[in-house]
Amino acid sequence: MALHSEVSRPHYPEGERAQSYDSGRARRGVVWSVLFMVSTMVGILALTALLYNIVNSAFGYVAVQNEIDPQTVVLEVEEQSMLSASNVTTSEDDEILAAGVAASPDAIGFFGYAYYQEHADTLKALAVDGVAPSPESVDSGEYSLSRPLFLYTDAGTLAEKPQVAAFVDYYLVNVSAVIEEVGYFPNDAAEMMQARQRFDEAVNGAPPADAAGDIHVIGSSTVAPLTGGLTDDFKSSGFNGDVTQEIVGTSAGLARFCDGEADIAAASRPINRSELEACRKAKRDLLEFRVGTDALAVVASRQNSFLENATREQLRAIFTTAETWSDVDPSWPETPIQRYIPGADSGTLDFFVESVFGLELSDLPKETLIAILDENVSAGLMRRLEHDQPFAERSQENVHQLVLERVIESTIVRSWSLTDSILRSSEIDAAVAEIPNGEKVFRSWLTGDFIRSPQSSKPEDAGIRTAILGTLWVIFITILFALPVGIGAAVYLEEYAGDSWFNRLIETNINNLAGVPSIIYGMLGLAIFVRALEPFTSGQLFGSVDPTTANGRTIISAGLTLGLLILPLIIINAREAIRAVPGSLRQASFGLGATQWQTVWSHVLPNALPGILTGAILSISRAIGETAPLVVIGASTFIVLDPTSPFAKFTTLPIQIYQWTSRPQAEFRNLAAAAIVVLLVLLLTLNTTAVILRNRFSSQRI
Amino acid sequence: MQSDLPATTTQFAAESDMAEFADRASLRRQPHIGESAIQGFLFLCGAISILTTVGIVYVLAREAWAFFNRPEVGLGEFFTGVKWQPAILAFGIWPLVIATLITSLIAMIVALPLGMMIAIYLSEYASPRTRNLLKPILEVLAGVPTVVYGYFALTFMTPLLRGVFGQNTVEIYNTASAGLVIGILILPLVTSMSEDALRAVPRSLREAALGIGATKLETSLTIVVPAALSGLAAAFIVAISRAVGETMVVALAAGAGPRNFDNWGEAFHSLAAFNPFKAAETMTGHIVRISGGDLSYDSLDYDSLFAIGLLLFLMTLGLNIISRILVQKFREVYD
Repeated sequence: MALHSEVSRPHYPEGERAQSYDSGRARRGVVWSVLFMVSTMVGILALTALLYNIVNSAFGYVAVQNEIDPQTVVLEVEEQSMLSASNVTTSEDDEILAAGVAASPDAIGFFGYAYYQEHADTLKALAVDGVAPSPESVDSGEYSLSRPLFLYTDAGTLAEKPQVAAFVDYYLVNVSAVIEEVGYFPNDAAEMMQARQRFDEAVNGAPPADAAGDIHVIGSSTVAPLTGGLTDDFKSSGFNGDVTQEIVGTSAGLARFCDGEADIAAASRPINRSELEACRKAKRDLLEFRVGTDALAVVASRQNSFLENATREQLRAIFTTAETWSDVDPSWPETPIQRYIPGADSGTLDFFVESVFGLELSDLPKETLIAILDENVSAGLMRRLEHDQPFAERSQENVHQLVLERVIESTIVRSWSLTDSILRSSEIDAAVAEIPNGEKVFRSWLTGDFIRSPQSSKPEDAGIRTAILGTLWVIFITILFALPVGIGAAVYLEEYAGDSWFNRLIETNINNLAGVPSIIYGMLGLAIFVRALEPFTSGQLFGSVDPTTANGRTIISAGLTLGLLILPLIIINAREAIRAVPGSLRQASFGLGATQWQTVWSHVLPNALPGILTGAILSISRAIGETAPLVVIGASTFIVLDPTSPFAKFTTLPIQIYQWTSRPQAEFRNLAAAAIVVLLVLLLTLNTTAVILRNRFSSQRI
Repeated sequence: MQSDLPATTTQFAAESDMAEFADRASLRRQPHIGESAIQGFLFLCGAISILTTVGIVYVLAREAWAFFNRPEVGLGEFFTGVKWQPAILAFGIWPLVIATLITSLIAMIVALPLGMMIAIYLSEYASPRTRNLLKPILEVLAGVPTVVYGYFALTFMTPLLRGVFGQNTVEIYNTASAGLVIGILILPLVTSMSEDALRAVPRSLREAALGIGATKLETSLTIVVPAALSGLAAAFIVAISRAVGETMVVALAAGAGPRNFDNWGEAFHSLAAFNPFKAAETMTGHIVRISGGDLSYDSLDYDSLFAIGLLLFLMTLGLNIISRILVQKFREVYD
């Protein structure tokens, strides 16, 4: 027949047509081979997309909303440690502090730099981290105990409310004259000129006319005395309106200013990106004027001979834990430190703590964190925590986590994928800025805690411990059942079975079973193991009845169901491995007088073992990933207690992933991604083992 | 030549014959209780697979029988109705079947050409080194649990489709996303089965084709593929059966409720029943969703699941049997 069709074909073209025909064939060949390769690439691309998608969700920024601002907690505890140090004198009156420090060579204190200058004859200012305070180092920001002071307003307001323009004008003209009275540094002249220029541009150079009306200033307490003093002068110069000053702190002030609640915002730090973004969204045309700089001088007496410079770490020790100077630096005298600090209500103390101590909760030593806990939670809870695990044995990280959970009470309110975190950082900043007490944190959803902790309804605490244990239990039962039965069936079919109709039936049947959808096995398991064999699978027969689990939806039902599911796979694979054992081995064994079973046990099985194991491992990894049958037989979705027997309720890793994925909140999707990473690592390890086994096996046989 | 040597050999041969004969006789007489017990046990192991099948058929048939025997349920309605809404006792299977067909069809549109081409590339074009590199990647894809594909469909494919076709056209849950991802899911299966079929074609056929001047492409498409056709067809049919039975992807991505219609006219009106961008529930998706809740035995819901399960089982079994027949009847024997 083939011959006929050959003959009936047209003849091969000749001459030039042959050439074009051939080149056409060649072209088609190239086009198609490219097509084949592209298809393969598409396949690889699919795998890449799959893995990328998972990793993308398992890591990324989250917006954490805190019940309490962690900085205030740290501030409080650090101030407390300063106030409760030994030999400490507190006073709101700088005179007392200055006099006290001046009197003793062992004394140290701090207050506004301007105030120090008045007493430069009896006091000396220390260099901090090697930088001595001077108008230049303060102005450039090199001196770390300084912060710039700003006024913010917006061009629209200046145009609409002439009284605000008049006030800002007055402010900019007069601030440098009065600022030193308050104890701050004036701007240098050039900076002031620039501010002036910006203002003139905004009001089109026209000097604001005399105006009436109210002015609302909001923001930092640091700027408040300056604004207060200027307000009084402004009023005495003829202004009739009301100037309201609301002191809420820089952050809240800027936020409310941007919302249009106030005319002017006073700030003791520059506006940050997310605040700027928020302002822009509110269509505020922001104007920034730097009005001066606040700086603290750390001072010692002129009589003191050893103090010239101190690092911030040394300052921290000097003002808190150290008893004598030699505790801080061995070269310093062994005399007790006399401390003079402003009282707890003062902004100066806050500023000192902020700039010297640094306010990262996670940096605090364990003892401090425990102190924070002790102060903010009930004694009962402290006892319970101590009972769970003594604080002495807990790590700093662990205590930090506790503080976050119990004191800061941070909850994740939004999450972003890894790519978004990298590419759209500013948008995330803006979104986080809109969350009250919100904070942007980079979070890996896959952590040690995630693997160790049980299920929880709060995504930040949820873990997969129970799911992993459930998977291990179920797979253990599966192996126990399916491996011996599967290998037994394979041995029977390969070594014993003749060519009877029944054996052929078994063979066809196994092949068909391998094609049955897994969910059908779930229904079989539901009807047989869960329902019909309930007394057995719920553990009633064995007396271990747990009223909450005695319904057959247990680990053993799941294990047996999965066992039935992978049985055909194990049998098919094991048969192939057994078939690959050369017949000569069997004949040699029979020839020596071995019985059938002796031959199988001592020769066939050992030789087929690597192949059988490979197939078994692949089948088991299939079972580990199965979800649908377990859903059908009734896996529990929320389990916090570790399973302790085969008759316990269970959940498994894939079930957990299914549950989390089907929830609408993005945070649970992140959890699902992290759980998938764990599952894939587990399966990949198993499969790699199988592949290595197979390769070793095949190289041995050649 | 020594004359006594052959005689000795003969003598030995006769003795060993005798011994063997005696041994065999004695072996036959020995009652091998242990051996028989072991053989019995191994037979049982093999029989468990039969029991499994019997169990599946029995369980599905019994509960489905109970379902169809209920007064609320009509066999006619079951096979012709386009509304599956147990709450109002509407039990037409078609919404579930149509959704299953849509997802499977989309999956096959993805997996067939792609899987076939990858198989041809791997078997005919790729160097052994490339093949050794690519096959493990396919195996990794094949080893990824289906629930992960479900996650992929919901968090990657659906946003992608919605980005391409518009948020209004594509619903959050839709059969297109599920179908495409099932296509990726069965891709390794199609590829490896097809590749096996292609590689089983003997080298001599290829060499003959190349020898009379065929290009590589012509050899692949006109010689190797037709020669492996039965194997390829079997691969496709197994893949369809896998797509029909696939559960987790549709449970997560396709939708949580059947797309019901009052009558066939409505279902065919502007092909509303077949829009892949709308949510729909497949047979497997329905089984998982209903059994995931609290299901009491012998309730209408419980029984209805088994009726759906029986239909699903018969569909996949039919496909698998066709595939097996294809392989056996039309297998080209080259050796």
